[in-house]
Amino acid sequence: MNRNNPDILDLLAAEFVLGTLAGAARRRFERWRGADPFVERRVRAWEDRLAGLAFQLEPVAPSPGVWASIERRIGPAQGSRWRAFAAAVAAVAVLGLGWFLWQELRVAEPQAQAIIASKAGEALWRIELAADGEYVEVSAIGSVRYPDQRSLELWALPPEAAPVSLGLMPASGRLRLALDERQRAAVGLAANVAVSEEPLGGSPTGAPTGPVLYVAAIART
Amino acid sequence: MAESTGLDSEPEVARLLAACVRQDRQAFQRLYELTSPRLLACLIRLLRNRALAEDALQDVFIQVWNRATQFQRDRGSSWAWLIAIARYRAIDLQRRERRLVAGGAEQFEAIAADEEPHESLMALGHRAAAALDNCLNALQERQRHCILLSYQNGMTHAEVADRIGEPLGSVKSWIRRGLAALRRCLES
Repeated sequence: MNRNNPDILDLLAAEFVLGTLAGAARRRFERWRGADPFVERRVRAWEDRLAGLAFQLEPVAPSPGVWASIERRIGPAQGSRWRAFAAAVAAVAVLGLGWFLWQELRVAEPQAQAIIASKAGEALWRIELAADGEYVEVSAIGSVRYPDQRSLELWALPPEAAPVSLGLMPASGRLRLALDERQRAAVGLAANVAVSEEPLGGSPTGAPTGPVLYVAAIART
Repeated sequence: MAESTGLDSEPEVARLLAACVRQDRQAFQRLYELTSPRLLACLIRLLRNRALAEDALQDVFIQVWNRATQFQRDRGSSWAWLIAIARYRAIDLQRRERRLVAGGAEQFEAIAADEEPHESLMALGHRAAAALDNCLNALQERQRHCILLSYQNGMTHAEVADRIGEPLGSVKSWIRRGLAALRRCLES
């Protein structure tokens, strides 16, 4: 897939929004969308074009309990939500610290890097933050075992704050994840990144929901 | 409720969403009250089960709360953003479920049973809705039918083909041509 053919890209975006893009192609497109603002804009344009169709359905008032559950899930105002996650992070040993020194640089003068390694010490992914802070590039460099029908999600762990999702980890190859302002801020402050196992397509809540598989220190250059 | 929950409530929805970025819980609740009935209608239609749809509705609003900062108004309407979050959540759940259930034939018979006629969007009295309505009506009948089946039920090409008893290749090309024509019409 490439963005040099705008007609094909636009059709893919349309079929993604419609729902006819399915299976592995849908998941690939989803990752691409998260990584490339150009693709994201095409998707948003189609979401806009087709939204009117949803208004054909008669509205249905939700049961009273639904709002109460949502309130419970967003928790009491600010900041206790991530504490359990912080504890999970502390339980995973920070690995791969010395690794970055030997890695060939792929991103032109990255301002920071982290290497995510298995418990056996095998490097699995390299994560590099671009000099301008606009994106992180994640490269699968080891034999990654991607869980079936699940996604691995990358989180920046800013001190004393909730983890911020940076996107989904590639099973192979290299993936560029564009950062928005909030993500840039989180990456700037974080000492570590973590990878958690999530439902397909990533955490449905915006906060980590699955087990923390890896934690790696960020080395700033 | 006499207040509007149609497309003309867009400015209010956009304002509430902006307030959610500042972690304004009152605005969040108001957003929920205003938009949840329409989102739930989409979820029920896609998931065919009210309890599942209400669970999904929870997930949708948790996402909205956590990801409000990612909403960029210049790229599209806030209603469209909310509807998209709900539809993607339902499509993911629905497909995960279908992989587990061998042979989805019974589900499609259920869908066939309550297929609704395409009611006019003009009633919403909104220019964008009227344009979409006109452009849909300008499509060939089978193109429109396939696109609507897919959008409202979250069906894949193969599922649409199965449902209407036409070859997969034809369905793919009707949808593709229909979408291209729809875009040309909406942009003209």
